[in-house]
Amino acid sequence: MLKRNLSAVLYLFTLVLLGCCTAKTDNQQTYSPKFQQYYVQGEVLYIKHCSNCHQLNGKGLGRLYPPVDQSDFMDNNFDNVICTIKYGKQGLLIVNGIDYNMAMSGNAGLTELEVAEIATYLYNTWSHEKGLVDVKEVTQILSKCNN
Amino acid sequence: MKYMKVIKLNWGLDFSCLKHEATCFFVYPILIGLFLCSCTTKEEQLPIFGQREVVGADTVYHHIAPFSFVDQDSAIITNDTFSGKIYVADFFFTTCKTICPIMKTQMLRVYEATSEMPDVLILSHTIDPEYDTVALLRDFAARLGVESKRWHFVTGIKDSIYKIAQTSYFATAMEDKTEPDGFIHSGAFLLIDKQQRIRGKYDGTKEEDVNRLIVDIKRLRREVEN
Repeated sequence: MLKRNLSAVLYLFTLVLLGCCTAKTDNQQTYSPKFQQYYVQGEVLYIKHCSNCHQLNGKGLGRLYPPVDQSDFMDNNFDNVICTIKYGKQGLLIVNGIDYNMAMSGNAGLTELEVAEIATYLYNTWSHEKGLVDVKEVTQILSKCNN
Repeated sequence: MKYMKVIKLNWGLDFSCLKHEATCFFVYPILIGLFLCSCTTKEEQLPIFGQREVVGADTVYHHIAPFSFVDQDSAIITNDTFSGKIYVADFFFTTCKTICPIMKTQMLRVYEATSEMPDVLILSHTIDPEYDTVALLRDFAARLGVESKRWHFVTGIKDSIYKIAQTSYFATAMEDKTEPDGFIHSGAFLLIDKQQRIRGKYDGTKEEDVNRLIVDIKRLRREVEN
């Protein structure tokens, strides 16, 4: 009787363990090849165009450059972020209750696909799990920027 | 018989001088010598950069030329500000989007690593003094979260800044409208000793180089204490 109970517990334990493992790798493994392509290219572009100020870990720098990791601004202003990647930003910006005022220069040379790749990287790294940001969506948003 | 001193160690080794006379004459003196050496070995000193002249019996080294700039608190900053201090100097400007943010991230590491060292200061010169006013530098320093008594951000006459960069610190700094940021400048961090001589040059955009700088600051402080 005891033996049977023990093996049942072990069986359950193994199931839970397996569950944990698959849950952890879910984000990376089950995304489509398209997502992977966007994400990998997005990382390269992020390192080249964004990480100087926003840092490799996405935490920003002091009150000079805002974080792109946990950011209420990014959560609530998706279209604005897409426009900012390409056209930059001037003036006061409040992120997580802290004011930032350093102008961000635009990256006018980025193609729509590259903006989508950077956005895919931004919105699926650190604390973000938004999923693919498709170039079609980005094209639409970029056509309506106020810059 | 006078070499018959038998040193019997606990583990049964025989260091008898009679049996192995060479031990007494060669091995022991060498061992003792090595032991003494190890006590007196001096740490290798950091190099002194720049040309040197011999005047009479003295060697005159390259020094940082006299300067006078204004920092984020509107305080006049001269060579005297750094008298009896070690300092790290660099050149940047607040609107620079290329290497400066990385340099500031790395300099912040130096700032944090030297927080317990009252004799170590940081001096950041803007190479865009027309835009980087005292008020702007003040805001920049505050946003970076650093104290003005340990980290001076200075502005001044543009030509004076470029000249001191090139001739005193051997760092490149000049305007170039064809560059993405409008300036050419090196990302160098310079380590200056208490006699205002350059003792190290590091790439302020590379973490490993800045690690070396932090180690060298500690070495330089020990050198001064001795």
